[in-house]
Amino acid sequence: MSFEFHLDTNDGVQHLTLVGRLDSATFITLEKTINGLFSSAGDRVLIDFSALSYISSAGLRLILVAAKRARQVGGRLILCGLSPTVRDVFEISGFLKIMETADSKADAERALQA
Amino acid sequence: MQTSTSTSTSMGPEKVLLLDYTMPSQVVMFGNLAVSVEDAIPDLPDIAFSANLCLEELITNTIQYGLGNAPDHAIRIYISRSPDCLEIVVRDDAPPFDPFNSVPTPDIDAGVDERDIGGLGVHLVRTLMDEAWATYDGTGNLITLKKTLKQ
Repeated sequence: MSFEFHLDTNDGVQHLTLVGRLDSATFITLEKTINGLFSSAGDRVLIDFSALSYISSAGLRLILVAAKRARQVGGRLILCGLSPTVRDVFEISGFLKIMETADSKADAERALQA
Repeated sequence: MQTSTSTSTSMGPEKVLLLDYTMPSQVVMFGNLAVSVEDAIPDLPDIAFSANLCLEELITNTIQYGLGNAPDHAIRIYISRSPDCLEIVVRDDAPPFDPFNSVPTPDIDAGVDERDIGGLGVHLVRTLMDEAWATYDGTGNLITLKKTLKQ
């Protein structure tokens, strides 16, 4: 298993958990799910990166798609559990300035209930 | 494939070749390459992450644009190390292509609506590595990356 993901709904918030390596070979399995997020106005989504060991631009592209979709429907997207190296990639990409992040899943859940 | 050899005279007395790896031109093979890179520098996990990311971004460009997604070419990756520097060299047999002079820089200050993903791979390489350049040697491209190692 190099990459897998889980999508659940808790308290009206969708939780997308990413596991393993999200690279130019594995991103394709996530694409359909990302495109299906934020299908309704005001949708709230949390993406949990705590089990993700690696991400490249292919994965970053999908996260950007999710962020754009969130804006289009007036929804909210929060990324949580980014490891230091993954967080660094988001920072270098300029994504931290345009996306909401939280340290822990609990923090992200709290933020989305606010 | 991975070999570990000791000092080669053409590289200077302190530079050691840690990895000589050949991968087929298929993106599914990046996972295997990543393990070999991590094994070559077990004491530098963060640099291994950066190196793997840079290798993926550059080699994906080579596969898509240089080789037109042909899956049967060999791409060779060398990693060598001296006390203060890690050097990564990637060699392909594609037509001349310099990613550092032909890909637009992304606007990393753009808002979500305007932001695009083009050029992000090369931007990541330029930021994560201390030196990066490409040359063409008549039969293929050679990309060299260097990362300074802190003592």
